[in-house]
Amino acid sequence: MRTADLLRFDFQVLNRHRFRTLMMLIAMSIGVAAVNLLTGLGEGAKSFVLGEFSMLGKNTLIMMPGKKETSGGMPPITGEAPRDVTLQDAEALRRVPGVKQVAPLIVGISEISFGGRNREVMIAGTTASYFSIRQLPIRQGSALPVLAWDIASPVAVVGSKVKKEIFGERPALGQWLKAGGHRFRVIGVMDSKGQALGMDMNDLIIIPVASAQALFNQEGLLRVMIEVQGSEQLESTRKRVIDTMIARHEQEEDVTVITQDSMLSAFNDILDTMTLAVGGIGAISLLVAGILIMNVTLISVSQRTKEIGLLKAIGASDRDVLQIFLVEAALMAALGAVLGLLVSEGALLAGRLMFSDIAFRTPLWALLLSVATAMTTALLFAWGPSRRAARLEPVNALQGRL
Amino acid sequence: MIQLEHISKTFLLGDQAVHALDDVTLTIASGDYLSVMGPSGSGKSTLLNVLGLLDQPDDGHYRLEGTDTTTLSEPERARYRREHIGFVFQSYHLVNRLSARENIELPLVLAGVPPKDRAPRVNEMLERLSLTDRATHLPNQLSGGQRQRVAIGRAIIMKPQLLLADEPTGNLDSKSGADVVTLLEELNQQGITLLVVTHDLALGQRARRRIRMVDGRIDSDGT
Amino acid sequence: MLWRDVFNLVWRSVVSSPLRSVLTALGIAVGIAAVALLTSIGEGVRSYVMTNFSQFGTRIIAINPGKTVTGGMGGMLQTDRPLTLDDAAALTRLPHVEHVVPVVQGAGTVKAGERSRRSDIIGANYAINDAWQFKLAMGSSLPRDESGRSRNFAVLGFKLKQELFGNRNPLGQFIRVGGIRFRVVGVLEEKGQMLGFDLDDIVFIPVDKAMSLFNRDGLMEIDVVFATSTTSAAMAEAVRKELILRHGNEDFTVITQDEMLKTLDKILTVLTAAVGALGAISLLVGAVGILTIMTTTVRERTAEIGLLTALGTTQRQILLLFLWEAIALAMAGGLAGIAVMGSLILLTQWLAPDLPLTLSPFYLGISLLLSVLIGLLAGLAPARAAARMNPIDALRAE
Repeated sequence: MRTADLLRFDFQVLNRHRFRTLMMLIAMSIGVAAVNLLTGLGEGAKSFVLGEFSMLGKNTLIMMPGKKETSGGMPPITGEAPRDVTLQDAEALRRVPGVKQVAPLIVGISEISFGGRNREVMIAGTTASYFSIRQLPIRQGSALPVLAWDIASPVAVVGSKVKKEIFGERPALGQWLKAGGHRFRVIGVMDSKGQALGMDMNDLIIIPVASAQALFNQEGLLRVMIEVQGSEQLESTRKRVIDTMIARHEQEEDVTVITQDSMLSAFNDILDTMTLAVGGIGAISLLVAGILIMNVTLISVSQRTKEIGLLKAIGASDRDVLQIFLVEAALMAALGAVLGLLVSEGALLAGRLMFSDIAFRTPLWALLLSVATAMTTALLFAWGPSRRAARLEPVNALQGRL
Repeated sequence: MIQLEHISKTFLLGDQAVHALDDVTLTIASGDYLSVMGPSGSGKSTLLNVLGLLDQPDDGHYRLEGTDTTTLSEPERARYRREHIGFVFQSYHLVNRLSARENIELPLVLAGVPPKDRAPRVNEMLERLSLTDRATHLPNQLSGGQRQRVAIGRAIIMKPQLLLADEPTGNLDSKSGADVVTLLEELNQQGITLLVVTHDLALGQRARRRIRMVDGRIDSDGT
Repeated sequence: MLWRDVFNLVWRSVVSSPLRSVLTALGIAVGIAAVALLTSIGEGVRSYVMTNFSQFGTRIIAINPGKTVTGGMGGMLQTDRPLTLDDAAALTRLPHVEHVVPVVQGAGTVKAGERSRRSDIIGANYAINDAWQFKLAMGSSLPRDESGRSRNFAVLGFKLKQELFGNRNPLGQFIRVGGIRFRVVGVLEEKGQMLGFDLDDIVFIPVDKAMSLFNRDGLMEIDVVFATSTTSAAMAEAVRKELILRHGNEDFTVITQDEMLKTLDKILTVLTAAVGALGAISLLVGAVGILTIMTTTVRERTAEIGLLTALGTTQRQILLLFLWEAIALAMAGGLAGIAVMGSLILLTQWLAPDLPLTLSPFYLGISLLLSVLIGLLAGLAPARAAARMNPIDALRAE
C-alpha cells in the first residue's frame, strides 16, 4: 500500500468515528500539554529564581569570616568569627593578582528618620566599587564617591523603596537623614532592582564603610565582594585570596571564599530535578493515553473484523493490515501531540504576557521527549491489537469471527 | 380491554410527512387473537409500538384496561409495559452475555422481585417451555427455535394481559416456526390477548380476528 | 430493582468484555497510583520536616533584632539597637518563663592538643539541654553562672568530640576556641543534620564569652521557653510588651515556634495537595478513557437498551445501570491503583525506612472518592444518551 493511500484510508476511518477520534486527541493532547506546560513552568521558575540570585555577575567571589569543615553544609553565613576580617584585610586583597576590584561590606539595621517619618531599614556600609560589582543602577544623583576606605563621610545612597516611603514625591537629593544619631546627606537614589540573597536592594541605604563602622560600632566586615578580572581566573584568584588571608591571619585559614556559581549550583540542581519531576508526573498521563489508544484499537479491530476479512480477501497482506492499524494510532498520537503543543505554547505565551519577568518556556528536551513519548506509547500500545488484526484468518474474519 | 380512539401518528421523512397511523380506532377484547397484516410502511409496526407503549401517538386516546395511557408519565408507562405487556421480536433480542435462565428472569429483576420468589417462577417457566436442560446456555449456544422460546418465556414471565409478537417466526425454519406458533396460541387459549404482526399469510390467517392495514388506516377488519 | 441485581447486571456487563474493562480501569489505576504515590511523598516530606522542626520543642518563642528584615537575617546583621544580655535577663523574670537562651553564632577553630577542627561556635547558656532538647551523652551542661561572669566551660557536639578526642574521655580536658581556653564539661548525644547545619559539629560556650570572642555587643537571638500554664500567643505578647518597655519601641521580631510550625505545616500541606493535583492530570485522561469506552459500550448495546425499555425499564433505571458501570470501572481502577501503590509504599517503608514516604489514609480516601467522582462524571453523558435513546430505533439496531 502506498503511504499516501494508507494515510487517506486512515484519515477516512478517523473521520468516520469522529467522537472517538476526538476523545483520543483530547487524551493525547492533555498528556503532551501537561508535560510541556509543567516543564515550561518549572523552567520559568528556575530562570526566575536563578535570575534573582545571580545579580552579582559571574566573576565575583564572596569572602566571609569563619571557616567550617563540615562538607556540603551551609557556609558560615553569620559572619562571626574569633578573628574579624578587617578593612585592612580587604585593602590588601586589592593588590592580589587577578583581582579587579574589592568592596568591603557591613550590613546592619537601623531606624532612620526624616521629617516626622521613621522607618527601619537595612544599611550597607561599603565603597564605590560595590555599585559596579553589583551593577546597581543610579536613577538620580550619584553613587558613593571614591574615598579612602577609612574615611567616614556623611553621605548616603537610598533604594527606590526607601525613597518612596520616606520622601514620597518630594526630592530626596540633598536632604539630611538621621540614622542612629548620625546624619547623612542623600546624594543618590537607586533604580528598582529585585531581591537578592535575602537583601531587598530597594529597601536599602548605602553609606561609606567607615561610617557604618562608626554607626554600628563594629570593626569587622560581614562580607568582602571581590571581582576577578576574568572568569577563567576565578579559581586561581580564589586560591590567592585565601593564601593572602592565611598570611595575614597568622597562618590560619579562618575565612570562607565562595563563588556565586557554587552557591547557585545547588539551587540549579534542585530546580532541574523539580522540573524533571513535574515533567515526569505529566508524562504519566501520556501512559494513560497510551492505554486508552490500546483499548480503542482493540474495539476498532473487533468492530472492523469483517472489513479486515474483506481487505484480506481482496489481497491485503498481514503487513498491510498491521500498517493500517498502527498508522491509525500514530496519526491520533501525532495530531494529539500537535494539539497539546498548541495548548501548552498558548498557555505559556499567556503566562509570559502576564508575568513579563518570568521566562516560561518549555525546554527543547521536554518538547521533543513528550512528542516522542506520545508516538512511542501509541505505537507500543497499538501493537498488540494491530497484530491481532493482522493475523486474523480471512475466512473467519469475513463472518465477523475474531 | 384495549381501546384505540382516533389515534394518529405522523413521521417526517425528509421534508415529507408520512401518516404512519391515520385516525385509527380499534377495540380489542381481552383474550382475543389478532393478526395485523399489510404491506411495508402501512403502519403495522407503528401500531404495535403504540400498543406496546413504546411510542406516543400525536393524537387520540389509548385506553388499556380503562386507563388512558396517553397521559401517563414515562416511569408509569414503563411500569405498564413491565406489568401488562409482553413483547416477542423477530430477532429474539436476547442479552447475549446472560444465560437462557437469566434472560427469562430479567423482567422479574427489573421489577425488583426478590431472588427467592424469582427462582420458582423461572423454573416453572423453563419447565413449561421444555428448556430446563438449556437453562444455563448462552443465547449463541441455542437454536433459533429455542431462542424464540426463551424470548417468549421472558415476555410472559410477568403474566401480562397483552402479548405483542412482531414477525415471531420470521427468522425460523418452518418446524421451529410451527412450534412457536403453537406455543403462542396455547398462551392465548389460557387467556392472554395475542396480537401478531406478520407478512406471513398462513400465520395471519390463523388469527381469530384479522386486521389489514394500508397507508396508516385499517383497510379491513374481519374474522 | 434490587441493589444486588443492579450489581449483578453491572458486573455481568463489565466482565463480558474483560480486556476492555481491564484497560479502562487500568487508565484510572495508573492515575490513582500516581496520586497515591505523590501524596505519600508529600506527606512523608511534611512529617519529616515537621519532626525535624519540632525536635527543639514547641513551646519556644524566638526573638530576633530588627523589625522589617525578612529571611531570618535579622540576627546576623549589626544594629544600633541590639538585643542585649540584660534583655535576656529581663525576660527570665516574666511569669511562665521556664528558660531563656541568649544566642550568638559564629564559626572558628577549635583546638585540643595537636588536633584542631573548624566548626560552628554557638554562644548560649545552661538551658540548651532543656530548651532545645539536646541530650547529654556524658558530663554536664554549661553551668548556671551569673550572667557576664561565666567560667570558660564548653560543651561539645558529638562529631566534634570524635574529631578532637577520638575515643578518649574529653571531660575535664582543655580546648581552645578561637584562641581562648575552655574546659570541656559535657558532650551531647548525636543529633544529625538540619537544613545544612550539622548539629553535631558544634561547640557550645557561654554566650558572654562568645560575644567577646566575636567582638560583638548584641545577641543574634533570644529563645524563650515557656511553661504549659500559658499559651504561646499570650507569652509572645508578654515578651513583646516587656521588650517594648525596655527599648522604647518594637525594634525586634517575635516568632513563636508553633506559629512557625503551623505556617510550615500549611505550606507543606498545600504542596502535597498540589503535587497530588498534578498526578490527577492523568486521572483526567483516564476520565476521557471512561467517557470514550462507555460511549462505545452504549452504542454497541443499543439493541439491548431497546429491549430493556420494552421490558418496562424506566429511563432512570437505564441511566443508573450505565452510570454504575462507569463508576464500577473507575472504582475498580481506583482500588487497584491504591492497592498496588499502597503495598509498594509499605514495602518501601519496610525496606528503606529512611525515605520520607507516609501512606496517608486521608489522601487515599480522597483519591478513592476521586475515582468514584470520575466514573460518575465521565459516565454521565453516555448514560444519559442511553437513557434517552428512542426505544423503537434502538430495537431496530440489531
